[in-house]
Amino acid sequence: MSIEVRGVGKRYGDFVALDDINVSLPTGQLTALLGPSGGGKSTLLRIIAGLETADSGSVEIEGVDATKLPPQKRNVGFVFQHYAVFKHMTVAKNVAFGLEIRKRPKAEVKAKVAELLELVHLSQFAHRLPSQLSGGQRQRLALARALAVEPSVLLLDEPFGALDAKVRKELRDWLRRLHDDVHVTTVFVTHDQEEALEVADEIVVINEGRIEQIGSPDQLYDEPANDFVMGFLGAVTQLGPVRLRPHDIEVAVQPGVPGAAAGVVQRALRVGFEVRLTVDVEGQAEPALVVLSRAHARALDLELGSRVWLSPTTGATSVPLLGEVSA
Amino acid sequence: MADTRQIRARKGPVTYALRFFVIAYLAVLVVWPLWEVTSRTFAPVERGAEGGFSAFLERLQDPTVTYAFSLTATCAFWAVLINTVFGVGISLLITRYNFPGRRILSVLIDLPMSVSPVVVGLALVLAYSSGQGWFGGALESAGIFIIGSTPGMIMATAFVSLPLVIREVVPVLEEIGIDSELAASSLGANGWQIFRRITLPSIKWAVVYGVVLSLARSLGEFGAVKIVSPGAALRGETATILIQNRYTNFEEPTAYAAAFVLVLASVLALVVVSLIRKEDHS
Repeated sequence: MSIEVRGVGKRYGDFVALDDINVSLPTGQLTALLGPSGGGKSTLLRIIAGLETADSGSVEIEGVDATKLPPQKRNVGFVFQHYAVFKHMTVAKNVAFGLEIRKRPKAEVKAKVAELLELVHLSQFAHRLPSQLSGGQRQRLALARALAVEPSVLLLDEPFGALDAKVRKELRDWLRRLHDDVHVTTVFVTHDQEEALEVADEIVVINEGRIEQIGSPDQLYDEPANDFVMGFLGAVTQLGPVRLRPHDIEVAVQPGVPGAAAGVVQRALRVGFEVRLTVDVEGQAEPALVVLSRAHARALDLELGSRVWLSPTTGATSVPLLGEVSA
Repeated sequence: MADTRQIRARKGPVTYALRFFVIAYLAVLVVWPLWEVTSRTFAPVERGAEGGFSAFLERLQDPTVTYAFSLTATCAFWAVLINTVFGVGISLLITRYNFPGRRILSVLIDLPMSVSPVVVGLALVLAYSSGQGWFGGALESAGIFIIGSTPGMIMATAFVSLPLVIREVVPVLEEIGIDSELAASSLGANGWQIFRRITLPSIKWAVVYGVVLSLARSLGEFGAVKIVSPGAALRGETATILIQNRYTNFEEPTAYAAAFVLVLASVLALVVVSLIRKEDHS
């Protein structure tokens, strides 16, 4: 195990940021810490990096107890949301910083910097200042700088949070490919479930200072441990006694499926290739949300006021409604 | 970033009226008095006597005048040095660390700006004079005299110009934040390396700006130094005290010459400051 976190707790005054966190992250994996803002995931990452100290518990990195080590002795690479590049240094100097601190020979530093700039596609910008780079380029620079010292773990705090949607998606793919090449143990924090599902080997869902679930993207999506995880990983709606995903609801225009709930289409909204229906289900306070493809909706000839019968698709992921005895 | 230095495009009568008032105000308050000092510096002392630049230089070469200027320079140099080192240190302490009494400290730092320099001088005398002071007695027995000697004058100058470096550096430190310092520490840099290679280059211009302001303030310091200095010619007489002494003793030409040098130093400082501002914004 590359990182072992045992019983870590952290409070800010009365606010419990982390409450008895236990997690172990295997070597070479790309792990996402996923959760809502203020849930404690960034705090956990900063404690692993040594930028914050835990009130209790221990952190072990590559078999070494790092709980009391200062950040410069932990051999971790840290990438900040707002890049934290050294503004007064050129791109090449930024990348060289960690190596120069370690007093490596000049030739070695030069070769390593060239190699890393190649890796992050910034070779032609080596002599520019960070202010002349775009946001995505600055974040790649920050990544190269962190990788230069060959850290045993790479920690990224909302690395794409400050970028616009398109660059974000590009960098996400790029990070996944980079990790497949470099294979350094990587942990990144995100509040974007799509980002976590797409990039990570393993996801740790953190909410209100506690771990809700640890698992692969598929496990989390298909077998959410509880209502929170289910709701956080995607849209959720209610149908009868269970909560399930809107695309896991089968729509029929005639009764026949046993146990189907009857309802009336209240609203239909088309977004791109999908159609989102709001269905007023009989005997249910909350209307149910249904998502189906445009072609499917057209085939069923649905319009406002149509009577429909809703039932969960076979193999649908569902959890019993909170506060009710499951049927 | 949006350009914040936008100006109104329309020029109406109000614009011209405002311009006139500002120019008149500055002329009456600043330009005219300074012009008087300058013209008198180079004017002949009496009918038939030599005036101009050579007479001005001759007055400055008087031993009491060279002594006064070198004393002023000494005081200003040490005061600025002390304030730069402590100023940067205190700024880091205030912005980078949380400790009880932090807010009180940041209020205390502004105190020298609001307290009259004469009161500062008096306070130093009370604290350090050999007769009655708290530390005075102890220091005297160790053979150190503060009041009536150069160390006391340096202290007075340093006290008065204390906030200038801090006021320039603190906002910059707050603006740059701690992320790049944390990044440097995770890359293996220790505290000193972070300061020298990351923090200092970022606050460089603020420090230089603060130093120039402190220097200008220190050169012109009068009230606090006057109280702690013996204030006699060749004995604790700084340039400002010299100007006052000579002026009241009917040796106006020397007073004018010394005053002109101080004005020149301030103008020079202002030019440097405006150049730095330009550099900083580019």
